[in-house]
Amino acid sequence: MPLNMDLQAFNQRILPVQGRLFRLAQMFLRNREEAEDAIQDVFLRLWTNRQQLESYQSVEALAVQMTKNLCLDRLKSHHKQKTSNETDMVAMQAADVSPYRQVENSDSAGLMHRLIGELPEQQKLVLHLRDVEEYTLEEIEEVTGLSNANIRTILSRARQKLRENYLKAENYGTGY
Amino acid sequence: MAPDIEKLLEKYYDGETSLEEERALKQFFQHGEVPEHLQSHAAQFGYFANARKEQPSLTFNHELALMLDPPKRGPVSRLGTWLLRIAAGLALLLVGFGAGWLYQSKSENRAVSAAFEGKEAGQVEEMKKVLAFEQMDNTSASERIQAVNHSYEISDADRDITQLLINTLNFDPNVNVRLAACQALTHFADETEVKEALIQSLAIQTDPNIQISLIETLVAIKEKRAVDQFQQIARNQEVLDVVRLKATEGMNRLNADV
Repeated sequence: MPLNMDLQAFNQRILPVQGRLFRLAQMFLRNREEAEDAIQDVFLRLWTNRQQLESYQSVEALAVQMTKNLCLDRLKSHHKQKTSNETDMVAMQAADVSPYRQVENSDSAGLMHRLIGELPEQQKLVLHLRDVEEYTLEEIEEVTGLSNANIRTILSRARQKLRENYLKAENYGTGY
Repeated sequence: MAPDIEKLLEKYYDGETSLEEERALKQFFQHGEVPEHLQSHAAQFGYFANARKEQPSLTFNHELALMLDPPKRGPVSRLGTWLLRIAAGLALLLVGFGAGWLYQSKSENRAVSAAFEGKEAGQVEEMKKVLAFEQMDNTSASERIQAVNHSYEISDADRDITQLLINTLNFDPNVNVRLAACQALTHFADETEVKEALIQSLAIQTDPNIQISLIETLVAIKEKRAVDQFQQIARNQEVLDVVRLKATEGMNRLNADV
């Protein structure tokens, strides 16, 4: 491993993580532009501190931590402004889904997105890393510093809470 | 399949499923035939699967590349500019030394050659100009003394110069200039016309300083023809006693040398 990371090495290690960081930031910030802005910031910080990156076991874990912290800082600073990002979600839908299903999905996706956002910080982070990013428990451990058992508990709670809230929202919405 | 899914769902909500099992669930709820009673779970898994496809926009990637590109050139070009700066500094230093050395050697050459050639000719001209009889009103005494003193630097003085000095000795209104010319002429005392001019000048000069200076010079070069002139001075009542004594002494010394 070279002492000084050049851009190529940096890109090789960091850019594959870009999507993950973006999704994480989006999950926290619930806004596409803000998420992009946040991870741009993360990349810049990583790049300026690239010398120290060698000492980290997992640059990805570090980047995820940084993204999480940065997003939480930003949320604190502009006091969780309720941005209507549902329109963003529509644009993000996968192209291979039929138009009908896309509309249906986009509605529920928007709701899901909001519901996940309403979960407690730790729950939403663990849920996102596991269910969206498909991290192994070990990887989540690395990012969060939580124990294996702890992660399972949090995951379980997050999943149940999300379902509960979803059902509530759906029942309320449909009048059941 | 449904019972399996139900079991998996139970495990899932307990946080006990493996990644494989979770993927199977996602797969099922996205593409499988989802029974009515499990429909409510579909949104969740559908969302996860779709959310995973999210990517930052293309413009973002472009911006990021732009943002990281300057820093990329940063350390490289910083190193480059460092090296360049050092190199430029050294180059400037070398140029400075080189220029200084060249200039010095050149000016040394110039000084040396000028002393032997150009400067001499220029000096002679300058000297002639300053000491020219018709210029005397326009030049200061010190300028003329300086011009006279230039004659010391001239290696082979020609008749023009000695004549110039003789004229100065005889006709310059300033005593100091005449004295300087007298002293300058002692350097050319080997030449006969200079000797004659000195003897003749002694007859004309009235300033005791110059008289004494001339007597000393003539004695020093052992000019016997000056004896008559010395005698005249020694007898001349108008001449200062000191000068008359000097003339007598010179007369005796010249006679003694015979």
